[in-house]
Formats: sequence, C-alpha cells, structure tokens
Amino acid sequence: MRRGGGSMDCEKVRDRFSSLWEKELAPSEEKIVREHLSSCPGCQKEFERFGKTMGWLCSVGDVEVPEGFLPGLYKKIEERKTSPLAEKSRGGWFIFPLSFKLPAQAIAMVGIVFLVLYLTKMMPMEVSRQRDAEQTSSSLSEEKKSEQLFAHKKTENEKGSFEIPAEATRRKDIEHLQTPALGKKEIEDTPIAQTKGEAKNEEAPPPKSEIMASQQIESKEAIGARIQTPGPDKFEKELAAKEKPALASRPTQEITLRIADREKAIFQLQGLVKHFRGEMVTEEENGFIVSLPTASFPEFKKELEEISASTKTDKMMAKKRIAGSPGATAGFKREEATERSKEAVKVASDQESRTVVLILLTQE
Amino acid sequence: MKTSPRIQKEVIERCKAGDEKAFDEIVLRSQKKVFNIAYRMLGNLEEAKDLAQEVFISVFESVKDLKEETKFDAWLTQITLNHCRNRWKYLKRRQYFNSDSLDDPIETEDGRLPRAVVDPSDNPEILYEKKSIQQFIQRGLLKLKEDQRELLVLRDLQGFSYEEMAELLSLPEGTIKSRLHRARMDFKEVLERSAQ
Repeated sequence: MRRGGGSMDCEKVRDRFSSLWEKELAPSEEKIVREHLSSCPGCQKEFERFGKTMGWLCSVGDVEVPEGFLPGLYKKIEERKTSPLAEKSRGGWFIFPLSFKLPAQAIAMVGIVFLVLYLTKMMPMEVSRQRDAEQTSSSLSEEKKSEQLFAHKKTENEKGSFEIPAEATRRKDIEHLQTPALGKKEIEDTPIAQTKGEAKNEEAPPPKSEIMASQQIESKEAIGARIQTPGPDKFEKELAAKEKPALASRPTQEITLRIADREKAIFQLQGLVKHFRGEMVTEEENGFIVSLPTASFPEFKKELEEISASTKTDKMMAKKRIAGSPGATAGFKREEATERSKEAVKVASDQESRTVVLILLTQE
Repeated sequence: MKTSPRIQKEVIERCKAGDEKAFDEIVLRSQKKVFNIAYRMLGNLEEAKDLAQEVFISVFESVKDLKEETKFDAWLTQITLNHCRNRWKYLKRRQYFNSDSLDDPIETEDGRLPRAVVDPSDNPEILYEKKSIQQFIQRGLLKLKEDQRELLVLRDLQGFSYEEMAELLSLPEGTIKSRLHRARMDFKEVLERSAQ
C-alpha cells in the first residue's frame, strides 16, 4: 500500500473511515487522516463511497408495523393457551437454548439406541426361545434315549445281581417328568409342542415286534407299579395313579430251596408260579425273582417247601420208578387237584398287592 | 435508540403482575423496533411480522422471570436477536433465500416492486433517488454475514450505542467498533458490486 501525503499509510487511514465518519477520532488523529485524504485521491474517493454508503444506510427509515399486529398477537397467545403443545413457530425448535437442546438430543439418541437394541434383541430372542424349545424337546428325546440306555444297562447289570430293573423308561413318562422344567403348560402351548404332537400322530406305526416288546415291557411295568408304592415325587404319584408306572422293585422275601434235581425243581417252580398267578421276573442259573399276589404268598411258600421235599422224594421215587412204581405221578396229580381248588380263592385276593420273592436254588 | 421510547419501570411491573393493559403498552411501544429489526434481519415483511409476534409471546410468557426491570429494553432486543438468528437458520436450511433470484420481485413496505426498478446497472445515486434504495440496501444487507448484518442493523439502522451493543453481544466495545467497521466496508463492497 502506497503512502499518502501524511504520516499514515492508506490502509491505516481506511481503517479509520468509520471513526472519522462518526467523528469519534481525536482531533490530532483526525487532522492526520484528513491530511492524508486530501493528498491521496484513492483514499479520498474511497472515503466518499464509504460516506455515501453510510448515508444510504442511515437514510433507511423504519418500516411501519403491519395492521392488526396486536390482535394477531393475542390470537396467537390464545392458540398457545388452547394447544400448549403445538409448535410455537416454524422455527420452534431453534428457539430453545443449546443447554436444553443438547440434553434433549442426547436423550433422544439414547432412546433410539435402546429402541434399536430392543427391537434387534426381541427378534432373536423369539427365535432363540423357539430354538430353546426345540433344543429342549431334542434334549428330552436325547435324555429319553440315554435313560432308556441306562435303564437297559441297569437291567442287564441287575440281572447279574438278581435285582429288578430300577426304572422303566417310557417316552410318555419322561415327557411328563420333564415338563416341570419348562412349565407343562408352556410346552403344551408352544407351537413346537403342538407340531411335535402332530408329528407324533403322523409318525409311522412301529414294527409289530416292537409293539410286542413294548407291550411286554408295559405289562412288567404294570406289575412293578402294583408291587411298589410310588415315590414321594408328585409326578410319580400322579403317574402311579394314572398309568401304573413301570417301577420294578427289589425282592421282599427270600427263600432258599435245597434241591436234588435242579431241572425238575425249576419246572415245578414255574408251574407253581403260574398256578399262583405269579410271574417270573428274572431267571438266572441259581436264582429266580418271582412276583406273586401277596395273599397267595404263604401258600406259595408252603408249596415251595414241598417242592424242596419232593425233589428229594422224587429222587427216591425216581429210583423206585426205575423199579416200576407209578405212585409218584398219581401223587403229583392229586397235588395238582388240590392246588386248582385253591386257585379260585387266590384269584380274588390277587387284585391288590404283590410280593416279590427271591428264590435261591442250592444243590444238595 | 431511535425507534421506541423507553418503557417505564412501573409498566413492566404491572405487566409482570399480569396486567394486560401494561402488556399492550409494552407491545405498542416496542413493536416498531422489534418488527424493524426482524425485517432488516430477514428481509421479508410476513416473516418479520410473525417473528415479532413470537417475540412478544416470549415476552408475555417470561416477563415474570425478568429480575431487572431497567434492563427490559436490552432483554427485549436480546430476545428479538435470538429469534432472528433461529429463524434465519430455519429459513436458510429450507433454502428460503436461494429462491431469491434476480427476476423475483422485491418486497418493500410499499409493496412488491419488479426487479427492473432496482436494476444493478443503474447508478446507485439514481437508485437512491428512485426510492427503491431501501430494498437495494436490504438486499445488500442480506448478502452480508449474519453477524455483520446484526451490527449494521443495530448501530446504523436502529441507532444502538456501542455500550448497548457490547452488552447485547457480550463483546468489548473495541471489538464491536472494529467488526462494525469491517461490516460497513464489506457492505460498501456488496453495494458496489451490485451496482456494477
């Protein structure tokens, strides 16, 4: 910037235009500026333009307020009173100070985030709930299988140790026992449970051999139910009441037979069991577990003792038979006749409870 | 201040007490100033009217909270400026001012004038004489930055003192003066460019 006539350059002079125009400069400073302006045509012209602009600005008069301003104002106030939540103006939001707007925006953002999280979590939760239900049902079937396997193994083991299978595992029973974990009703109400039910209905019927086997198992279970009182568990009680659960039990009685002829003794034992409407639960080499109506147990025991004796006598008879005597068969027939006469009495008392007897055979 | 007479303290106290007549008096005494600031800041009569009414609604709602009645004028101007800033942002966001092409009619207090009247090819002196100077100035004002426009409106159009401006804008007087000078020089440039 070139220097003007005074001691001040053009830029500094132009910076003082406002002050000069408003006559706010100190007299000495004003003098210097005016000297510069008189000697610098550029600054002089610039100041003239500046003065003109300022003249225009200051010449701008006030605009009259439109008519009906006050009534319009009161109308708006009334509208606000009637609907205070209505937007105050088009720029309503901008009227609020930042101290209000920022927290409000932050809260809104947090709200949106939570909403999004809620919505995104909700859907997978529904899905996961369904998955859980599926997994539960599958785990139920797995558990069922494992329990069946366990029961099967246990049965095999118990056969060795002359014990009745601990627990039969029917699908229905397990399902009943498992329901409380999820809530019986919930499972029943779940679409999966329904579909499962449908699927169950739609399942192809099992092979005949399986049916036979399951019927046999069930009959054994029914016997077990009659033998043993149900456990303290509520469900077991219900099951016992409803379906006679397949619960086998340990022998309550033990009889040791001293026998001479093992095969014959077994044959006679089987006959006796059949006669007293009992059932052979397990048959081992030297041990039998027999389930009998409790009422007929004393007589059964007597007869059993007779077998013990008869095997001895039979041995002798066999010796005699070799010699050609038919008395033994006749005696056996008579024995059968007396037993049949007792049968009717036993049948009546047979209905209620049963006794499990362990019969051990010892060879003399 | 050249536009409105000072409102007496007792009127403000009555207004605070819920006297409707006192509020009317406040509105009648201040409406011109508020409306003109709004008009110069926004350049539209309808917007200015609406904004001025909003300002008085704010006064009506919050005059109870005014602690120093002597500072009512500054408080009122502050509310007006805040409303203007917010409305300007609102209108700018909606590209309200972008639609103001050279062919658009210019709105003045005398009505809407065709743009031909303010043909920038005209000499500014002629424009001044043609009485269309007001909207020529108004258009120049709208081309300035908002804070510069504020300074010109307050000082050169409304006649606020530097002291009042410093209080309103929370700036030192020296800063006000230097910024005002810059605003004036820019305004001059704007008008000269428009007149070329």
